[in-house]
Amino acid sequence: MSPVAAPFLEVKHVSKSYFEAGKEFKVLETVGFELAERDFVCIVGPSGCGKSTLLRIIVGLDTPTAGSVRFEGKPLVPENPQVAMVFQSFALFPWLTVEQNVELGLEARHDPPERRHAQARKFIDAVGLAGFENAFPRELSGGMKQRVGIARALAVEPLLLCMDEPFSSLDALTAQSLRDEILQLWSTPDLPPKAVLMVTHSIEEAVYMADRVIVLSNRPGRVVAELEIDLPRPRNRKEPEFFGWVDEIYSLIV
Amino acid sequence: MVARKRLRWVGLVLIALGVSFAIAFPDSARQAATLPLLASFSLGRMAAAYLLALVFAIAYGTTMALSKRAAVVMLPLLDVLQSVPILGFFPAALVFFVATFQGHPTGLEIAVIFLIFTSMAWNMAFGVYESITTIPKDLEDAARVFALGDWLRFRRLVFPAMVPKLVYNSMLSWSNGWFFLVASEIFTAFGATYARPGLGAFIADRGDAGDVAGILIGVGVLAAVVLTLDALIWRPLSIWSERFRIDTTGTGQPVPRVSGVYERLAWLPRFTRLRQWLGSRVRPLMERYSRLATRFDRATSAHRQVMRAIRWIDLGMFLAIFVVVVGSGLAGLSTLLLKPLPAAAYTIPEATLRSFSRLALAYAVSLAWTIPAAVVIARNPRASRVLTPVIEVSASIPATALLPLILGFAIAIAPSQGTGTELAAFLIALFAMQWYLLFNLIAGVRAIPGDLDEAARAFGLRGLAYWRRLLVPAMIPSLLTGSITAWGAGWNALVVSEYIRFGGVRPYTVTGLGSLIDIATFDVPDSEVLLLSILTMVLVVLAMNKLLWRPLFKRAIKRYRLEG
Repeated sequence: MSPVAAPFLEVKHVSKSYFEAGKEFKVLETVGFELAERDFVCIVGPSGCGKSTLLRIIVGLDTPTAGSVRFEGKPLVPENPQVAMVFQSFALFPWLTVEQNVELGLEARHDPPERRHAQARKFIDAVGLAGFENAFPRELSGGMKQRVGIARALAVEPLLLCMDEPFSSLDALTAQSLRDEILQLWSTPDLPPKAVLMVTHSIEEAVYMADRVIVLSNRPGRVVAELEIDLPRPRNRKEPEFFGWVDEIYSLIV
Repeated sequence: MVARKRLRWVGLVLIALGVSFAIAFPDSARQAATLPLLASFSLGRMAAAYLLALVFAIAYGTTMALSKRAAVVMLPLLDVLQSVPILGFFPAALVFFVATFQGHPTGLEIAVIFLIFTSMAWNMAFGVYESITTIPKDLEDAARVFALGDWLRFRRLVFPAMVPKLVYNSMLSWSNGWFFLVASEIFTAFGATYARPGLGAFIADRGDAGDVAGILIGVGVLAAVVLTLDALIWRPLSIWSERFRIDTTGTGQPVPRVSGVYERLAWLPRFTRLRQWLGSRVRPLMERYSRLATRFDRATSAHRQVMRAIRWIDLGMFLAIFVVVVGSGLAGLSTLLLKPLPAAAYTIPEATLRSFSRLALAYAVSLAWTIPAAVVIARNPRASRVLTPVIEVSASIPATALLPLILGFAIAIAPSQGTGTELAAFLIALFAMQWYLLFNLIAGVRAIPGDLDEAARAFGLRGLAYWRRLLVPAMIPSLLTGSITAWGAGWNALVVSEYIRFGGVRPYTVTGLGSLIDIATFDVPDSEVLLLSILTMVLVVLAMNKLLWRPLFKRAIKRYRLEG
């Protein structure tokens, strides 16, 4: 994980404040970190620490009050087609079928219909939803909905995949099997994203999935620590080393 | 299968009735033969007005929702337009259009379509606005992250989000439209009768001739048209629109598919060949549309500046028109108010009071029968099965179509012509108001969650206590919604209920705001009295909405809303 000349993603001195009735509410304060290619990074922090705001700034849904986000050395443009996002609430369009949802980003890119279909089928298969192409989101279980969300994000072949608490709306069992599947997908080398950035409030989840964990403090969010998780994969939640990491991060947050 | 058999029986009975009727009354039957043609004229007017209203509603609602600056002006304007009893302007608008076209039928045709349009457009525009402003944030975010261009965003996010409210409001608009259509196809002014061929004109004409059978046939055909449209278009559409409901909580629920409704119509011929042929023609068109849409999208996203400029020009034009219209209106009003009031203006307060008490009485009677009826229909499956078709058929007949029958009935049973006319005015208001209350109340009672009902029963709540603690509080929000719509319809009905003209020289009139408007337009043209009367009506309606209904509604929502 040695940093290259121009980092893949560089978050530099990002601060964010909201102003309400003349009063300033600081959400993020001079947050900075870098992402290299093949990085799987998790941002953890207590609820309300601004981690979701940080992710929204990185994907261009929000603008920082100060600081900058540079992607492959260039300043980030809003609606960056090379960054895709998976939402906590799935954010699927209820009136579109699974396939139409997955094609959404491709349609926005003006891909011809044939290419769109092929691409959508490929990623619907990849997340294990073959046969559900014509189902509506309402007809799917929570876990299946999030699979659609993941397929939709992957289908645009983004360089950076951002996930905002993707497992928080799922029950424990579904969440665990989906985590394993995402890691499985991530380990296939021909998958489009070069890096994954995930926000979570679950320390265990971060230690289980990430190469590196960025710990944010309570509001206003600051980077408290950056930890390289060097546990071998697949990781075992029962091992003492695993607990060691979890405890260390836990003590940093409290 | 059973349903199909029953439908066949109903069809046979109807045909038999029709045939025996034709033998018994050959003259009426000959008249009736022209009815399909007349019905298609009326339907054409409705469809033209509806298309205009649809385009207007989508454009107006979208602009209002997407630009906060535009909404500052457009939202209050729409609020006023929606509260204004359009029929108050109806005589004036008819006279204006007819005069502009110098009595040519085109003028009347445009006037009719314009009036139906004004009865359809406002609630739809509000529906569009509400749907767009309540699109969940995460869907907006997803649209931005995946860089949807303006056109694609409209097709995939904004338009689908407005479908449920658009369909619901379209159904309301059509029933409003029928009411106005029937009232506007025929009218008398300056000693001449202007009419356009249509069902409304037919019914009025039969009324003049005193042909009760003819009236009944006309009303029956009208009801049949309304019910057929309902079965073939609005029911399937409203089931289809369920798909567009934003409901993030649901998992594993089946999405209603339209085919279910068509299964009920399986007895109709299918025309498989024709459909295949049509399909083969339509599919290339759809593909071409899809390709064109992609190209259009690419073009618009490449020329953002141009698109923005176009939007600003649009908005500018709208504002200019708005300023001119409102400005000239205000100018005219101030010159009017600066002059001494005409003598007839002093009758306005009494007329207003009379109209108001007439509506209040009709409202009270509506309440008295619809509350128990709604509870029985919503609670008792057998009653629902028997009564629902009866009620739907009766409600499908616009009150204006019943005008001759109601008047005839009232005059026949009343001791004098004066009380008879008074009774007719009351009955028409009742017919215009009661259905809105009934349908809203039924929906309100049906929406009471089963667990609340079970809890009430488990704790032995019965009789009066059951009504006081569960039924009445649960009905209050829908009661208010129904009341607002019912009063709106009541004010609209005044112009047709207080001044009824039939063949004879003298119209049947009672003192009221509605008859004041009609007299000032048709009998003794007086633009000042006309304007003052309309203004009074607008002010009364606005005052009632702002001071009575809206505060009540807010409190009711806070206290009595049922959350799932």
